[in-house]
Order: sequence, then C-alpha cells, then structure tokens
Amino acid sequence: MKVLIIEDEQALQQSIQTYLEHQGFICEAVGDFLTGIDKIHQYQYDCVVVDIGLPYGSGLDIVKELKNVESKTGIIIISAKNALEDKLKGLELGSDDYLTKPFHLSELNARIHAIIRRRNFGGNKTIMFNEISLEPEALQVAVNGKAVELTDKEYQLLEYFIANKRRVLTKAAIAAHIWGDEYEQVSSYDFIYTHIKNLRKKLIDAGSGDYIKTVYGTGYRFTDS
Amino acid sequence: MKLLTKTTLYFLIAMIPLLAAGGFFLFHQFSKEINQRVDRELIHEEIQWIEYVESATWNGGNFILQTPDILIYPVRQPVTEFPSISDTYGYRAKDDVQIPLRQLTHVVSINGTPYLITIRRSQEQKTALVANVTWIMLLVFIGLFIVTLIFNWIISKSLWQPFRSSLQKVRNIELQKLENIHFEQTDTAEFNELNASLNTMTQKIYSDYVNMKEFTENAAHEMQTPLAVVQSKMELLLQDSNLNESQVEAILQTTTALSRLSKLVQSLLLLAKIENNQYETTKSLSLADTTKKYLELFDELIKDKDITIDTSFTGNFMINLHPLLADSLVSNLLGNAIKYNKAGGNINISISDQEYSISNTSDLPKIDPQYLFKRFKKPANSPESSTGLGLSIVKKIIDTHHLTISYEAEHGIHRFCIKRR
Repeated sequence: MKVLIIEDEQALQQSIQTYLEHQGFICEAVGDFLTGIDKIHQYQYDCVVVDIGLPYGSGLDIVKELKNVESKTGIIIISAKNALEDKLKGLELGSDDYLTKPFHLSELNARIHAIIRRRNFGGNKTIMFNEISLEPEALQVAVNGKAVELTDKEYQLLEYFIANKRRVLTKAAIAAHIWGDEYEQVSSYDFIYTHIKNLRKKLIDAGSGDYIKTVYGTGYRFTDS
Repeated sequence: MKLLTKTTLYFLIAMIPLLAAGGFFLFHQFSKEINQRVDRELIHEEIQWIEYVESATWNGGNFILQTPDILIYPVRQPVTEFPSISDTYGYRAKDDVQIPLRQLTHVVSINGTPYLITIRRSQEQKTALVANVTWIMLLVFIGLFIVTLIFNWIISKSLWQPFRSSLQKVRNIELQKLENIHFEQTDTAEFNELNASLNTMTQKIYSDYVNMKEFTENAAHEMQTPLAVVQSKMELLLQDSNLNESQVEAILQTTTALSRLSKLVQSLLLLAKIENNQYETTKSLSLADTTKKYLELFDELIKDKDITIDTSFTGNFMINLHPLLADSLVSNLLGNAIKYNKAGGNINISISDQEYSISNTSDLPKIDPQYLFKRFKKPANSPESSTGLGLSIVKKIIDTHHLTISYEAEHGIHRFCIKRR
C-alpha cells in the first residue's frame, strides 16, 4: 500500500515515514505544495497525508485537486489548527479524516488503515493477523474461523493493536484512541488494564496465541515474536 | 454635575460680587445726589431764617426758636465762616424710632449777636433707598438667572448634540464591530477634534485587536508543529528494544510533559478565542444532553474511582452556546468533580431549566474564592496533569454568555451552581 506524505517540517515528515514503513506501507515524502501536486498527478496512492500550511500553497488545494481528478486516494489532513471551521472545510472538500498536531504516530497509522479499508470498495476488507480475523463492517472477530464475542471497546482495542502490530503503544495513546482526547490527561490508566485483560483472556480462550505483551511501565505491544 | 450647570454656577457666583459692587455704587451715587439736594435746601432755609431773625431783632432783643427741626438761640461762641453739615441720628417724636438726619449747624452774627442755628432734615427716604437698590439688584440677578437657564437649555439641546451622539456611540462600542464605527464631522471645531481623535483611537484599537488575535492564534499554532515533531520522535524512540528501564521512563515522562504543554497551549488559545467572541452562535443546545454525553464518555474514570452518580434532570437548561464551548464547560466541571473526588465518592448533578448544579464529595479543603477562577492557580495537591486553566475557561464561558456561577464547599461537598443572569 502506497502512502504519500506532504509535510514541510522535515523532522515530522521523517518520523511519519519511518513509522508507516515499519507498519508495511510504501511511503513517499515531499515537503512542498508544488512537488505534492506533481506527485499526485504522476502516481496513484492509496492514501495521502497532507499538512494544510505548506510552502507555495495550501494543503486544502491538494485535497481539491485530488477530488478533481476523481482519485480513489484516501486523504487525511494533519494540521496545527484545531479550529472547527478548518476541520469542517477539510472534510467538506473531501478529506476522509482530520488529525490535529501533535498526534500519536500510532493514531495516524490506525486512521490510515481505516481509510484505506473503507475506500477499498468491493475488495476484501477482512483484517488478518495469523489465526485472528476481523470483519470491520460487522465488528466481528474470529479465531481460526470460530467467532469470539467481544465488547465494542475490546474490538476497537484489537483493531488498533493489529494496525500497530509489533509497536510499543503507550497507555496514553491507547486511552486517547479508544476513549477520546479527554482521556489523554487522566492521572491513572488502570481502567485500560481491565479491558486488555479481558480481551487477552477471550482471545486465548478461543485458541489464539498470547500476542498482547505488557511492556513494563510503558504500555502494551501486540506481537507474535 | 453637568459641565453647563457648572459654568452657569460659576458665572452666577461671579455675578454676585459684581452686582453687589454695582448696588454699592448706585447707592453711593443716589445718596450723594440726595445729600447735595438736602444741603442746598438746608442752606436756603438757613438764609431765610437769618433774614427772618435779622428783621425780628433789628431793634434789639434776643430771638430763640426751639422746635425738633430748628434750633436758633444766641451763644457766646466765635462766629464760623461757613455752615457745617453732617449726618446724625435723632428720635422721631411720634413713634420713638431712631432715624438718620442731615443737620446744619452755623454760628452767625446777626445784628452783632452770635446765634447758633441748627436745622435738621429727616433722611428716612435714604433707608428706603438701600432697600430699593437691593431689590433692583436682586431682580436683575433673578432675571439673569432665568435667562441663563433658558439659554443653557437651548445650548445643551442643540450645541452639545454632536457630543452626545459621539458619547452614545462610544458607550455601545463592541470590540469585534469596531471596524464599522465612524465618528462624523460636525460644525463645531472642538467636537471635530474629539471625533477625529476617537476615530484614530478606534482604528488603532481595532488594528491592535486584530493583530493580537492573529498573534495569539498563530503563536498557538506555531507551537503545535514543534510539539508534534518531539512527540513523534519520542514515540519512535520508544520502539527501540535496546532501551533500559530508566531511559523508557525518561521518554514517558517527556511524552507526558509534552502532551500537557500541548493541552496548555490549546487551553490558552481557547481562552483567547472566547475572549474574542469567536464562538458566537444563534443555535441553542441542551446542557443536559451535553452532560449525558460526558457522563457516558467519562464512564471509565467514574468506574475506576468507584464514584456513584446521582442525577436529577428536571429540565434541559437550553442555552445559546457553541457546542465546543458546551463541551468545554461540562467536561471541565464534570472532569474536576471526578478528578478531585475521593475513591468511592459521589457526584450529584441536578439540572432544571433555570439552574445547573454539580456537586461532588472530596477530601480537599474549600478552594480560596480569591483564586477559584484565576489562571494557573491550582490546589497544592492537584494531579500533575492539571493545566490550572479549567475553571478559568469555565468562568470565561459563564461571563460571555449571560450566566453566573457560584461555588460553595461544606462538610466535604463542593458544589458549583450555574444560573441565568
């Protein structure tokens, strides 16, 4: 899956690229509006990650251009502006999602996965991880083809884990993803533990491997190695 | 006191000594005139009496005349060349009242005998003169007073009209609408000067306001990008499996501090935006609905602390409030009620159409009202994650939306209550 990153802040651009490549994306990164426009005309991407404030132009115009050429590319705007109007405008122009800086790379990655899956009309949308399979539209999970009953939160956790497989995820990032931004600043993340313990137990009981590893003092990692 | 009333008052006060001086002068002039006439009459009378006495004593013998007004008798005194005339007082016989008199005394030699002639004239009309002059002056003063009042009324109606219209404009000024304010030309130089200054001032304030607004927003936005860089680098660093425990701990602490900083910047930006009225809306929403939403959202935190929630929603508390501000208001109040609650505590939310009240149990002492809504003033033992801006934002929203908020703490129960103003 190919992702184009249009972000003028070099350091951030590199971080995004590194993280996404680790998660199996093929990434291209450019730092200004004109190169960005060139790239979207020349190649077909599964998803474009675009900043609004760019040298030589606005990221919103890239969104417009992508819509003009009726591209099937998923679009996610990353912006320093948390203004509601900007968000609405971006989404109105046809962007699929809007992420405010600063954000967790794991969050960006999870959202790109979701966008690509949504845009993959008619294609196979099943998410696979070894013996675990997820049907995002039906919110169903099966281990070795046998259905596992999960709560909404447990399902969201699992999907987030698989999208960010093999990465260390902090409790703050997990809480913010599942319960919203308000949860990023709470003094205790003990409640996450309960949900993860239940998810882990249900998966193991259904016959899957024990993939959820506790990273001491930090958070969790979903890995088969 | 009105400026015009003041000038009138000063004018009238200044008039009093002037009128007094005028009255004194007038009295003096009249009195001199009267004296001269009386004196002439006295001398004339004296001459007639001398002639009379001369003819009465040509063949020897003395002449004595004694009436209240005229005294003529012979004396052994040297003869005076001229009669002396002076003011004196005497008693009027019929009612024993002291009255001013003009008196002529003269020692003349008539047929070789020196006679003292004293002739007196009542000067009662002089007393009346003082009263008359005072009356005239008083009438002038009253007339002046009335005329000035009428003039003032007319002047204040027409002349001060431009001033008043400018004043009205200044009174109704709103910062966001400053751009459209213009103070017109008038036909009075002073008011033109004033209006020109007001125009310059409003333009300056408006451009400063716009700059300030842009600066706050830009500063906040510009800060988010470097924060995003650090945040992403920390997240990548964390993936390194060669890190030891203390390194991981350092990264986590950095990440926490970073997200706090980002939250802080966002909160300050929100405060600035509320101050700039950038969240104006005509739609009304129900605070009860927002509260229900956040009770659901904060469910994990409530369960985590084993807090029981009692709600009594008898109304919706509909209000013209931007959804974002409603979220901010409720999440801050409810968030605090959870954050500062004790384990196994209680939160009581009661909402009617006129009142929104939220109370929680807590081991913390009552917040000093002086610092309650102050920025960055947080309780000494508040969690690190607190920005110290939550209640400032709440207060700002309250103040800009015709609401009031009260706080009380008694027997370990802290209560915030929002009412309509």
